[in-house]
Amino acid sequence: MADLARIQLDAAADGHVLRLGGELRRAAVRPLERAIRQASPRAGRALFLDLSQVSGMDSAVVASLIGAWRRAQVAGGQVTLGPMSQAAERSLAMFRVAVEPPAAPAPAGAVEALGGTAYGVRDAFWEFLQLAADATFAVGAALTRRAPLRLGAITQQAIDIGSRALGIVGLITFLVGLTVAFQSAYQLQQFGAAIYVANLTGVSMVREMAPLMCAILVAGRSGSSIAAEIATMKVSEEVDALTVMGLDPMQFLAVPRLIAITCMVPLLTALADLLGILGGFLVGVFYLDIAGEAFINQMLSSMVPWDLVSGLIKSVVFAWGIGLIGLYYGFKVRGGASEVGRMTTASVVASIFYIIVADCVFSVLFYVVL
Amino acid sequence: MAAALEVDGVVARYGERTILDGVSMTVQPGEVRVILGGSGCGKSTLLKCCVGLKPPDAGRARMLGQELTTLSERDQRSLLTRVGVLFQYGALLGSITIGENVALPLREHTDLPPDVIAEIVRLKLAQVELGHAEHLLPSELSGGMRKRAALARATALDPDLLFCDEPGAGLDPLTSAELDELLLRLRDRFGMAIVVVTHELLSIHKITDKALMLSQGKVIADGTLDEVKATPHPEVRAFFDRLAAGEMRGPPSALDVLRGPAPGRPPAARPGRQA
Repeated sequence: MADLARIQLDAAADGHVLRLGGELRRAAVRPLERAIRQASPRAGRALFLDLSQVSGMDSAVVASLIGAWRRAQVAGGQVTLGPMSQAAERSLAMFRVAVEPPAAPAPAGAVEALGGTAYGVRDAFWEFLQLAADATFAVGAALTRRAPLRLGAITQQAIDIGSRALGIVGLITFLVGLTVAFQSAYQLQQFGAAIYVANLTGVSMVREMAPLMCAILVAGRSGSSIAAEIATMKVSEEVDALTVMGLDPMQFLAVPRLIAITCMVPLLTALADLLGILGGFLVGVFYLDIAGEAFINQMLSSMVPWDLVSGLIKSVVFAWGIGLIGLYYGFKVRGGASEVGRMTTASVVASIFYIIVADCVFSVLFYVVL
Repeated sequence: MAAALEVDGVVARYGERTILDGVSMTVQPGEVRVILGGSGCGKSTLLKCCVGLKPPDAGRARMLGQELTTLSERDQRSLLTRVGVLFQYGALLGSITIGENVALPLREHTDLPPDVIAEIVRLKLAQVELGHAEHLLPSELSGGMRKRAALARATALDPDLLFCDEPGAGLDPLTSAELDELLLRLRDRFGMAIVVVTHELLSIHKITDKALMLSQGKVIADGTLDEVKATPHPEVRAFFDRLAAGEMRGPPSALDVLRGPAPGRPPAARPGRQA
């Protein structure tokens, strides 16, 4: 039969007597705390513990008694241990008490947190530049054959980054081309200038939309996978294993990915150019009733080769950055599996931010400066 | 004969924390040196310092007579081909098969013809009784098999010096014992120097030629197992004689606290501010 918990508080000459009995478990803590507070031993008063009837105590009950002792210490009162059963003695002897528990670190103030963040960003940027330099040199070494050029690994990565992205890149840019054409047609028709849809679609796809959409898709697909893959390898000590086998992780992991992504993104962008224009073309022919030939002539007359080249230059720069950001977050990971997810997310956010900023810089460069 | 491994006054820090504080030891060829110590005493860091994964902040670690950090990249590579490392969780590359993992160091560091490499891989896998697993991916193996495969990879180039980070961790006693036997065979047949980080008493008694015990980044015992066991240091005692461990140190029990200071003795320091 269960030995029910019994808690009884009696007044005494110089304080209280707390008699405990039975099987004291977590559920007894609330009434116990009430009794202790009622007794509240302070200066000159004592709480006398009678544990002679106790048949068992769990950690919550012991913690409660220690809490009473601590408060009494502060208030200058006393908690005195009286008679106790063997079970009570065993329970009390089992738990160790941190007499002076360590203080929890004080949360940083707003200014401190801001400063900490600023230093963090500065350090992260510095680390990123170091990695970027290392990786660039490693690629240089591989291309000049001072280090082995791993064609197999590069091909594998190129398939992952390039071929497997063909479908989604094609579909998305086709839809974007379609949308751009519809949106511009809506305005241009008001002036009877629907034919200029060809100019708009062509130029905006080739110069802007195709490289941008393509880079964002690759950042989401491949940048994240570079970060996740390397972070996982880092967490499971695979990167360390490569290092102690005398295989430079930069050469072994970073170089094939960087070369592959830098070759594949411009190619994907070229495909995106074509399919985006196809989207616009279909709108022009079937919705605006422009003759196909007229549409193409109009579009070609509005474009110069530089439009195409500038788009491809952009895509190379985007790709290089996405690769480096993925590598940076991958190699940066410390600790366990949860960090892998966090770093992967961070790499995608950083990549997209980078793409937009770089695109902005390019726009200024191409339109204003050149 | 030159020592296989000489560690001389190695200090390692992570930020403010000093993990190793002047650790020295030597390991002779054909010797199994076991590094002991509780969690967080710096065992794994010592291993990392030896193989160059964490360059020491002070002191030197010389493997096979050469100090890794002072070598050119090329010489580093060639030194590392003479050293094998078995990581705690194997650290096999997850994207390639077991066979390709074992072949990797052979392919990268030797100009052996592919069919010879394939044959070596089969030899090495058979040695760890994984002949059937050549074409499986690491994720398709159990923990013990993965570790054995990792041992096959670590010994692919017949190293003169082998490091093992907790070879028995997470394995059942039987598998762990098999792995120990394998290490002893490698020592006996190839005269390999083997450095093992572990805290499994069973395997310590089985494989140790010489032991080194660390505590809070310092060497507290060094010598044969009997010599180490005879060291009077309380932590050594606690390690080998767990019964003593509980009474050795640590804060007072709840019983002591509630009983208060014994009558006649001055009261102990009290927490918090006095009212």
